[in-house]
Amino acid sequence: MLSLTASSQVHYGQQAPDITLPGVNGDTVKLSSLKGKVVLVDFWASWCGPCRASNKKLVKFYPKYKDKGFEILAVSLDKDRADWTKAVAKDKMNWPQVIDDGGWDAKTGEKWGIYQLPTSYLIDKDGKIVAMDLEGKMLEKALKDLLGS
Amino acid sequence: MKKTVVILLVLLALQSQAQFTKASLQASGLTCSMCNNAIYKALKALPFIASVESDIKNSSFDMVFKRDTPASIDAIKDAVEDAGFSVATFKLTGNFDHVSIADDKHVKIGDRHFHFIKVKDQVLDGEQTITVIDKDFLTVKSFKKFSAATKKGCIQTGKADACGETEGVTKDTRIYHVTI
Repeated sequence: MLSLTASSQVHYGQQAPDITLPGVNGDTVKLSSLKGKVVLVDFWASWCGPCRASNKKLVKFYPKYKDKGFEILAVSLDKDRADWTKAVAKDKMNWPQVIDDGGWDAKTGEKWGIYQLPTSYLIDKDGKIVAMDLEGKMLEKALKDLLGS
Repeated sequence: MKKTVVILLVLLALQSQAQFTKASLQASGLTCSMCNNAIYKALKALPFIASVESDIKNSSFDMVFKRDTPASIDAIKDAVEDAGFSVATFKLTGNFDHVSIADDKHVKIGDRHFHFIKVKDQVLDGEQTITVIDKDFLTVKSFKKFSAATKKGCIQTGKADACGETEGVTKDTRIYHVTI
């Protein structure tokens, strides 16, 4: 079930819109640079309790699949960059991190139809959106299918 | 004619006035109230709201009212409830023009009727922030504390009914219960 807002450009089975946002070191990171991998685009924020809990789970999960062609792109909607970088360090997330510092008015958030955090989209190796808000066993099952091919 | 004008001006000067400029609320519910934009969007959509800020550190929503449109705190509360949450705290800021208040007494400010509870008798001047303590603007525990501080029944309904009618006040008149 995909929740669409008026400005959402996210549709199942279609190409994910590209993401071009600043990373932790001021560099620019693009979602399209991860094509060829199965990517979990994970929208979160440092102040979102359930997001921080989800980060902890992903930290345990990530090493199992990262060498098999899986990547996570974490997109934060934090308005305060200091809060963001502190949370990234605290949660020990060693996967690509970017920020769109507009909170609920962030353009990337609007483009991807984000109305609640955390929200995640699973993108296949061809850059197509295949699922939303998968976690735990459901995410593992989807990864096994997508990485196997 | 001159005498009538003078009398009218004196009467106007005696009427209590305040200009309400902004409000701040905290919401509560079964899920994380800051983690979705339902409240933010609902508040932004209100016609008398000029701007809304999500204050992450205080888990609150800070609103600035438009200057020319009267704000309705009941409409704000309804917007929060329609979003699936309830109001846990509600602070209202205004510029007060020499408004006399007394504990457990009604005072008419502009067109609205207020019932101040658990306050020291005082005169409100300049920018002041009052806290709304009507039933749907507080946690159950906090409301119990304030409703116990008055014997007047209007605290339970937010309407004048049980507090009796006076000039200009019928049983359906909205009485805003507040403290400072």
